[in-house]
Formats: sequence, structure tokens, C-alpha cells
Amino acid sequence: MALIELRDVVKEYPSPKRGEPAMRAVDGVSIDIDAGDIFGIIGYSGAGKSTLVRLVNALEPVTSGSVSIDGTDITTLGESALRGVRQGIGMVFQQFNLFNSRTVAGNVEYPLVIAKTPRAERQRRVAELLEFVGLADKARAYPDQLSGGQKQRVGIARALATNPRILLADESTSALDPQTTADVLELLRRANEELGLTIIVITHEMDVVKTICSHVAVMERGRVVERGEVFDVFATPTTSAAKRFVSTIVQGVPADAELEELRRRHPGRLVTVSLADGSVPQAEIFRILGDAGLGVHVVYGGMNEIGGRSFGHLTLELAGSSTAVDAALLRIRDIAPVTDLGAAA
Amino acid sequence: MNDIIDLLPKLLSEAGTTLWIVCASLFFGGIAGTLVGLALFLTRKGALFDQPVVQGVLNVVVNIFRPIPFIIFIAAIQPLSRIVIGTGIGDNAMIFAASIAATFGTSRIVEQNLVSISPGVIEAARAMGASRFRIVWSVIIPEALGPLILGYTFVFVALVDMAAVAGTIGGKGLGTFALQYGFKQFNPLVTWAAVIAIIIIVQLAQALGNLLARKVMRR
Repeated sequence: MALIELRDVVKEYPSPKRGEPAMRAVDGVSIDIDAGDIFGIIGYSGAGKSTLVRLVNALEPVTSGSVSIDGTDITTLGESALRGVRQGIGMVFQQFNLFNSRTVAGNVEYPLVIAKTPRAERQRRVAELLEFVGLADKARAYPDQLSGGQKQRVGIARALATNPRILLADESTSALDPQTTADVLELLRRANEELGLTIIVITHEMDVVKTICSHVAVMERGRVVERGEVFDVFATPTTSAAKRFVSTIVQGVPADAELEELRRRHPGRLVTVSLADGSVPQAEIFRILGDAGLGVHVVYGGMNEIGGRSFGHLTLELAGSSTAVDAALLRIRDIAPVTDLGAAA
Repeated sequence: MNDIIDLLPKLLSEAGTTLWIVCASLFFGGIAGTLVGLALFLTRKGALFDQPVVQGVLNVVVNIFRPIPFIIFIAAIQPLSRIVIGTGIGDNAMIFAASIAATFGTSRIVEQNLVSISPGVIEAARAMGASRFRIVWSVIIPEALGPLILGYTFVFVALVDMAAVAGTIGGKGLGTFALQYGFKQFNPLVTWAAVIAIIIIVQLAQALGNLLARKVMRR
């Protein structure tokens, strides 16, 4: 049994205009998330991912379907029981949502007050958490005196205060610059490894998924259109939505404008060899091309590494007679997928 | 000039009466207005206590009473004043009328200040498992406290204005003093003495309000 199980979850909002059909933000989503996973949910804005994550801690009630946390269907619980569930689920936000009227320590302490933790224990825990996120010296500062990255680290410390098993990160790095993003993602990874936290990461940036997630679900118009281990989705995306996201950080088979640009500079025969698994011997491919006496230029693409496994797409310009090229490609197709982009007309 | 010196003790005691009327009305109207303002805010669509019907009714009630000119309102509220506090005249009737007027005025100011709180902060507290009432007193009010203090200061100044017409129902204070000893006795110096007393009260109140708000907002 997975730690978090969503079954046929639907969330509709009534249309602002009378008589019009309801807006379906989440449309029949079923997902299993195992304890210890860092599960990415990626999609463009309006895809329903932020709504989906709010169903997991019941900030929004589902329209239909079930949401189970550790075997308990929370869609049947009343408001006071839900408050208990929420204390076991931390949440961090894009805009941090810190209490400006409280100090950094006061922000981190707040969920502990709600959980009725004794004062001495609260103070010990706040010190420990600020140490964990590297802000021990900022305990007495107010949020408006902090940088964006520091604010998010306070947000994470606050979310971890009650020792939750689950952390929901809603676009937690989208308001941050690249370096700060890397720091915050590293902090989430540490929370996952050192505290055994299960994390759901909502994002529209594939880089975030690549950096920390073990699994990913791609959402489009309220539905999960593709899901799997991050390596598999990156190496062999099948839906157009997943391909678009992957293409934001992986140079795949060139198309459209990219292909035109390549053509202008490389009039010869272009082919893309996809190395979908780390075990494919690159050397073998280049040996075949060499044996055939072809000139080879790598003109586009490259190798990527995810979770210790590598994959990539290499676009090559091959110089030689077309019969020699065809014969070589025939041999390569036996060991790796080849996309023939042809030569300039 | 001698008149003023003779009237100085009177001026001071009337200033005291004005302050008493204003502070008492601010106390009652402030508390009631804060509650109504919270209700206006919390029953909005999508807010913590989503009750659009209640919101609509409250909204209409506040809109009906708030624009009534205060000098007419005093007269109109007199029957209710007799029922509730046993008299329709004097300083206490004035406090009664001003408290009710201040309730409606304060409620809008409170509502406006609460609307400006980031909804995300309230959502964060909900995500931590805080109850709705806890969110009201431990998140919503503290987050809006600085602007609220400035709002109460605004109401204080408005009450100084209202209290000037206490004479209409036999109340005392600086307004009555200025009309009785200044205007009606053709003594503009006395009228101006009352004006200056009011200016001093307002300046001090505003300075105190600004100071408190700055302290709360730390800037």
C-alpha cells in the first residue's frame, strides 16, 4: 500500500456564471506515492497541479474520488479530524506565506503551538530546525528583513516543525533565482534523505524534476497524461506534453526552427541517434560509421545523466555516398533508435 | 481676552468631557465595529467562514446606516437610546449614538484592512491544522494590526468631529462650549480657543496612533 493514494479524484469549481458547466480543475487523477519518494508533478499554469496538491491535505474538498493517507480516506473526515491530518503534512509555498508579524523563530514555532507542544520542547525544536536550514543567526529577525532564499528556508523549517511524514512543495522555487533554487532543492533533498520525508514537488520547471525527483507525473488540463520514474520519462517521453517539458532541458531530435537552423549550416545527411539507456555502446556506433568510411560531425544534442544513468540524443552530419550511409544506418538501427532527418534539398 | 482666562477652567473641563465621550464611543464602537468588520471579511465568498448570504445582509445593513448624517442620526436613534440606556439626552445618550455610528464606520475600515492580508498566509495557517477561530486571533488580527491601529486613529478623529454636536441632545463638550460661550455671545476668541483645543487633541491622538502603528509594523 502506498503512503498517498489518489483514486479517480475530481475537483470541480462552480462556474462564475449561472447555467454554465462547472470548471473541472482536476479530472479523474489516480496516483500512488510511496513513502520516501520525491514525487514531481509538472504542468503549465492552469494544468490543475496546485489544486491537486491541495486535495492531499484537504485544503480543498474533492468533488469525487478518494484521497488516502496511510490507508485512511481523508475525504470522509470532518474538519477537526482534518486538522490532525494537516498537522502531519507540511506545506511550503511559492510566495513563502510567512507571518510578517512574527519573528523567524515565531514563524517556526507557530505550528508547534497549534500542536500543543510544551514550551521548552518548542524552543529546543525551533533551535534545531533553524540549525538544520542554516538560519540559526536569524531567529530574531522578521521575514521582511530576509532574502527570498532565506524566507523559503524559514518556510521549510516551519513546514518541518511538527515532524510531518509528508511535505507538499507548491512551486517552492519558482520565485527564486537559479543559485537559490539549487540551495532550496538541496535542502529538500536533505529533508528527504535525513528525515525520511515523502515530498510532493509541484513545479513547471523540468530542471527541478531532474534535480531532485525520483518519480514524476505530467499534468495537462486536469489529467495526468504521463507518469513514471524520472529517468524513463526523460529518456523516452511518449506524450506531446511530456516531450515538450523534456525538450526544455534535453536536446532531443531537432525539429522546426532548430532543424532549419542546423540545415542552413549543415547541408549534408543529418541523423539523430538516440541513446536511451546507459548500456548502449557509443563506441560501437562510431566504429560502424568509421568502418563505412563516413565523415562524422556531431552537430547537435548531447548526453544527460539522471540518477546515475545516462541517456541522450546525438545528431550527426554524415559525409559519404548515400549507399554507404544507408548501409551504416541499417547496422546502427539494430542497436539504437535512429531518426533520419535527410539531407538538404 | 479676560473672558478666556476666566473661561479656561471651563474650557479644560469641557475638553475632558469631549475626550470622555470620544474615548467611550471609541471603546464600544471599536469593539462592535471590529466584530462586524471581521464578520464582513470572514463571511466573504471563499473566506474562512464562507457565508455569502450573511455577508450580503451585513453589507446592506452597514450601507444603510453609515451614510446617515450624524446630526440626523442622533435624533433618529433617540427612541432606541431611551429603551437601551434609559435616556435620550445628555452625554450618555451622545455616547450611545456615537458608539453605534462608530460601529458602522469602524466595520468598513476593519474590513478594508483585513482584505489586504495575503490569502496565502491564511492558507498556510490552515495547512498547519489551525482552527478557524485560532486563525482569526493569532494570524488575521496580528497581520493587520498596524493598519488597524491607524484605522482606529481615524475613527477617533471622526468621533471628535461627531462629539461636537453633542449639544443637540443636551450633551456637553467642546462643541457645546464653542457655540454657547463663543458663537452665541459674539466672542470669536472663545470659539477659537475651542478650535485650538480640538486641534491639540487631534494632533496628539494622531501622533500616538502613528507611533503605535510604526512600532507594530517595525518601520
